[in-house]
Amino acid sequence: MNLLSFLSFLILAITLLTMVFGVIAYFLYKARERKKSTDDLTYEEAMEKEHSELLFFTRS
Amino acid sequence: MQVIQKIFFILFMLGGLILTYYSVNSLEQIYINTSNIFIHFGVILIFVFTLIIIIRYLLLMFFSILQTIRRSADEDDVIHTSQTVSVIVPCYNEQEVILHSLKSIINQTYKNIEILVIDDGSKDRTYALAKVFEFDDGLRSLKVLSKPNGGKSRALNYGIERARGSLICCVDADSKLDPVAIELLVQHFRDPQIAAVAGSVSVVNTNSFLTKLQSLEYIQGLNMVKNGQAFLKLVNIIPGPLGMFRKDAIQQVGYYSHDTFAEDCDLTLSLLAQGYKIDFEPDAMAHTEAPENLLDLLKQRYRWTRGILQAIKKKKHYLWHPRRNPSISFVMWYMLFESVFWPFMQVWGDLFMIYLALSTGASQLLLFWWIMFTVLDVAGAIYCLLLTKEKLSLAAYSTLYRLIFITVINIAKIFATIEEWFNIEMGWGKLERKGRIG
Repeated sequence: MNLLSFLSFLILAITLLTMVFGVIAYFLYKARERKKSTDDLTYEEAMEKEHSELLFFTRS
Repeated sequence: MQVIQKIFFILFMLGGLILTYYSVNSLEQIYINTSNIFIHFGVILIFVFTLIIIIRYLLLMFFSILQTIRRSADEDDVIHTSQTVSVIVPCYNEQEVILHSLKSIINQTYKNIEILVIDDGSKDRTYALAKVFEFDDGLRSLKVLSKPNGGKSRALNYGIERARGSLICCVDADSKLDPVAIELLVQHFRDPQIAAVAGSVSVVNTNSFLTKLQSLEYIQGLNMVKNGQAFLKLVNIIPGPLGMFRKDAIQQVGYYSHDTFAEDCDLTLSLLAQGYKIDFEPDAMAHTEAPENLLDLLKQRYRWTRGILQAIKKKKHYLWHPRRNPSISFVMWYMLFESVFWPFMQVWGDLFMIYLALSTGASQLLLFWWIMFTVLDVAGAIYCLLLTKEKLSLAAYSTLYRLIFITVINIAKIFATIEEWFNIEMGWGKLERKGRIG
């Protein structure tokens, strides 16, 4: 394998891995934001979100 | 050292042109040797995209060089003005950084300033910490105002409505200004057509690989892109960390709007729509914290992309009627290209190259394509580092910038564009401050 072919393969592999990494990172970010927005809710905001008069909490 | 940098710059530019030739030649060979219609279409698309990118680079660099020459010709032309500048500092939970920010504003060389700190219902000690700085000596004053939480744009408007000055300087609470920043910005308002001037932003926490890449991105974005735009007086975004506006121009366009996540971009477009000009001052520096982890960075870029798209959507009629206002139409197409077309084309281009490599064995094309963009990036970085006198070693990061950093950011931009297209709900997403600006 000559140098050019090796470098081509290397760039190809890095590009592929980076793209997969980029997609995973994006979904990790979305998951973190979803979790944060649930954690940061005040009682009133949670009531409004649930469209309910009463809220029931479960022990986690 | 400057001579060596110039030689490097010229060599990289020449290298870029040679590689462009090789890339185009390889594309042509693939086009000739295949009858696959998808590959034909892809090759033409890649060719057009590459051509646009190269023209963009060369034009921005050309305009930037002209702007630098123009600036050095005007350097001695300093005026002394006594206009009151009202500095608005909106803050929400900024206890880590507010002290450094306020100290840097108080230490400005420009004398006639009124500082208004707008606490937007912080839940931490921001209000109490800022309150300690309150003073009024007749010429200068600092006042802390508090209001219920309502978002950055409302906090800015709250301050602007109460400001005495004819010039409004908006400063982010997580930014530290150079002492001469306000004095330099004020100079641009000699021209009555200028409604706003963008300050320069530098990354203060270059302590990791990720922040070094962002620092390089800022240096390039400001010295090549903004400096180039400044030649035409069509700067498209006044950055949050530092920008100065004419108060009457802000009032004329109805203050900051609350319906986008990029209120600075929206206001800038509104000013351009009114026929005003927007300038840039590279020496008025604001030092700010860049996100230190990848997910925070994605959060920031996601918000920027959706915010810019929201601002463009609000004024989309200018896109389709360029004769009505050619300047704003040009700026909006440019922004659309940078925030939507380029990320899509870059990722699509990479995928197409991978497909070509796997289906035809033409794997070297991806290498040429990557090297071509990297060489252009390095040339751009060297040019910008020459202007800013920053460390030349930062240019070395350009290789990884194109290979990893920009691909990850582009993927987030693509998802943000798709979510904006489908109007998926989003929140402001405040970044946590580390207090590095001290």
